[in-house]
Amino acid sequence: MSTFDIPIGPQHPALPEPLLLKLEVEGETVVGVDFDVSYMHRGIEKLLETKTYFQGLPLVERICGICNAAHGVCYTLNVEKLYDKEIPLRAQYLRLIIEELSRIHSHLLWLGVAAFEIGFNTMFMYTWRDREHVMDMLESITGNRITTEYSQIGGVRRDISQELAGKLLKTMDIVEERTKYYIKVALTERTIAKRTQGIGYLSTADAKSTCSVGPIVRSSGVKFDVRASDPYTAHDEVPFNVITSDSCDVFGRVVVRAQELLECVNMIRYAIKHLPQGPFRIKLPWKPNAGEALTRVEAPRGELLHYTLSDGNLKPYRYKVRTPTLANLGALRAMLTSKGRYVVNIGDVPITYGSIDPCICCTARVHFIDVTKGRSWIWTLDEIRERSKRGRLLR
Amino acid sequence: MSLEGYIIETIRAIIFPGFLFVFFLALFYEWFDRKFYARLQNRVGPLYTGFFGILQPFADFVKLLSKEDIVPQKVDRLLFTMTPLFSLTLSIFATLLLPITSASGIVSFNGDAIISITILTFICITVFYAGISSYNRFAIVGAERSFLQLIGYEIPLMLSVVGVALTAKDLSLSSIVGSQGGLWHIIGPQALGFIVFIVAAQAELERIPFDLPEAEQEIIAGWNIDYSGRRLAMFRLARNVELVFLCGLGVTLFLGGPLGPVIEGYAPLFYTIYFVVKSLIVLAILTVVRALFARLRIDQVVRFSWKYLLPLALIQFVIVRLML
Repeated sequence: MSTFDIPIGPQHPALPEPLLLKLEVEGETVVGVDFDVSYMHRGIEKLLETKTYFQGLPLVERICGICNAAHGVCYTLNVEKLYDKEIPLRAQYLRLIIEELSRIHSHLLWLGVAAFEIGFNTMFMYTWRDREHVMDMLESITGNRITTEYSQIGGVRRDISQELAGKLLKTMDIVEERTKYYIKVALTERTIAKRTQGIGYLSTADAKSTCSVGPIVRSSGVKFDVRASDPYTAHDEVPFNVITSDSCDVFGRVVVRAQELLECVNMIRYAIKHLPQGPFRIKLPWKPNAGEALTRVEAPRGELLHYTLSDGNLKPYRYKVRTPTLANLGALRAMLTSKGRYVVNIGDVPITYGSIDPCICCTARVHFIDVTKGRSWIWTLDEIRERSKRGRLLR
Repeated sequence: MSLEGYIIETIRAIIFPGFLFVFFLALFYEWFDRKFYARLQNRVGPLYTGFFGILQPFADFVKLLSKEDIVPQKVDRLLFTMTPLFSLTLSIFATLLLPITSASGIVSFNGDAIISITILTFICITVFYAGISSYNRFAIVGAERSFLQLIGYEIPLMLSVVGVALTAKDLSLSSIVGSQGGLWHIIGPQALGFIVFIVAAQAELERIPFDLPEAEQEIIAGWNIDYSGRRLAMFRLARNVELVFLCGLGVTLFLGGPLGPVIEGYAPLFYTIYFVVKSLIVLAILTVVRALFARLRIDQVVRFSWKYLLPLALIQFVIVRLML
């Protein structure tokens, strides 16, 4: 049977962001896939080099609208490493609270999007309604719904009052109750099971070899969570379980994310009850020491990596961001081209793609533009390799 | 027939309970469907146009009519422009068969129960032609899917109608209604047939969980991706009229048609009210089904139809046969 190509994207109702999936299709089944993620290159890394460390924070939070808290925490941790100063424990707890809150909002949002991808609009509406409770809490704590910029270099921007903590606990009760309901729906509703079980299969070996991160790798039965393996804020003091699933499919990803919601709720409760006294911020000088720093943070989508190279000036010499979506693209290819029992239909592509919780705008990092010749291009891995061998990355 | 008779027949066909009545009923049903669906999902739904947004479908219709008329270059022009008309004509003709103001429809003859099912198949064929005439790969996939789906649900749908016709011992809709003067068909073994009918109607109308031919997330709008302006308006109206027809057919076959207690002299009015109320109940069931499930995959739809729906229809058929 001959194959033909179906392009999905860069503009497509199922894709919230510009990504081109070139599907090679045989009848209704997918046999090959090719991506293009660089429709949205924003040059944030270059822009960061032109800003001071304190000015860079609002920009970093805008890398991703949904895991902005993770980006903020990662950036501040990264810069603080250069200063070599102890950050107050209360600030670390508050950072944990805001990070877990944003994880709840991200996972609820993803549950809705996943339901939407399989045509379950009612669940989409419900999860997004309940996400509003979390958004309201984010607003009362930080003053903003989306780009919170709560985590600052040297601590956090505001303290949490006793009254606000009580409100937060009440919201957690609502979120817990609703999450339990969604878990019940996801586990018992037959059409959800039919559309997610055995779909987007990623074996444990593939998950490891493609270096996938976050809920994807955990749903393939690998116990990998930066919060547990490399605690960065108060995660070593707040107890939590790393949720894994052995089903290796989209259903497992739904279950992992839903169970993680409950873990987040418990972590926030614990953090509020054991919130240490003390300052929530210390003042740090404008210029950090020269040197380099690398931090890893468990963003809602997976491991997020920030790197700074500082020459002791006001501004970073080089800043590098590796977002979880980029790490998961290899896994996505493995999922879409799985063979045999787990072959992927055209109808399964949106949910398989959606299951990695893609955030393409955060992903595109390298894009070359020659202004004089008016052309733009991207380097392939081989080209990068060749140039790095020759010892000159930039022409 | 006398001149007076002709005039009355024409008025019946064009104004009430014919075309105009069905047109406004179709828009009303769309509003009811959208509003109820929205409320089930904790949304507000149509709100601003008219009383609780009741004029919203009409506003949408007028808006689509006034939009720019686009025919893409590569389409098969004849098919592309004719299919919306065929689709609308067929579905409006189908509603003429429905008994609304009396026990028989405007057009009534022996065997119209079979014609009504045939028209549903024809509507599906127009959908197929609409899809392949636009030469868009998403549209072609949608058209293929609509036919694959037809293979699944058509036979169970027919069997459920045959079961009712067996009980009524007649193939005309008017005598099926007449046979339900005492007890409605839904009470008793035909309840199975009603379930089969609801599921098949959901598939015929391309609503969740069977909305594959126009699955937004997978193939964008499927077979109607290239349609815009008036042609899309016509397709949408055809779909709404089909909704009225299928709800009405469900009422006719299983819920006793428009029959009910009446005040002497006002029978057509009461019959109409009963018809609308009963078909709104059927519509509410269809809407709840739409809100409750996720979309199935095409192979799952066909498998579901042959594995569960067809045996269910056959069981119903056998029980009815044994009870005669």
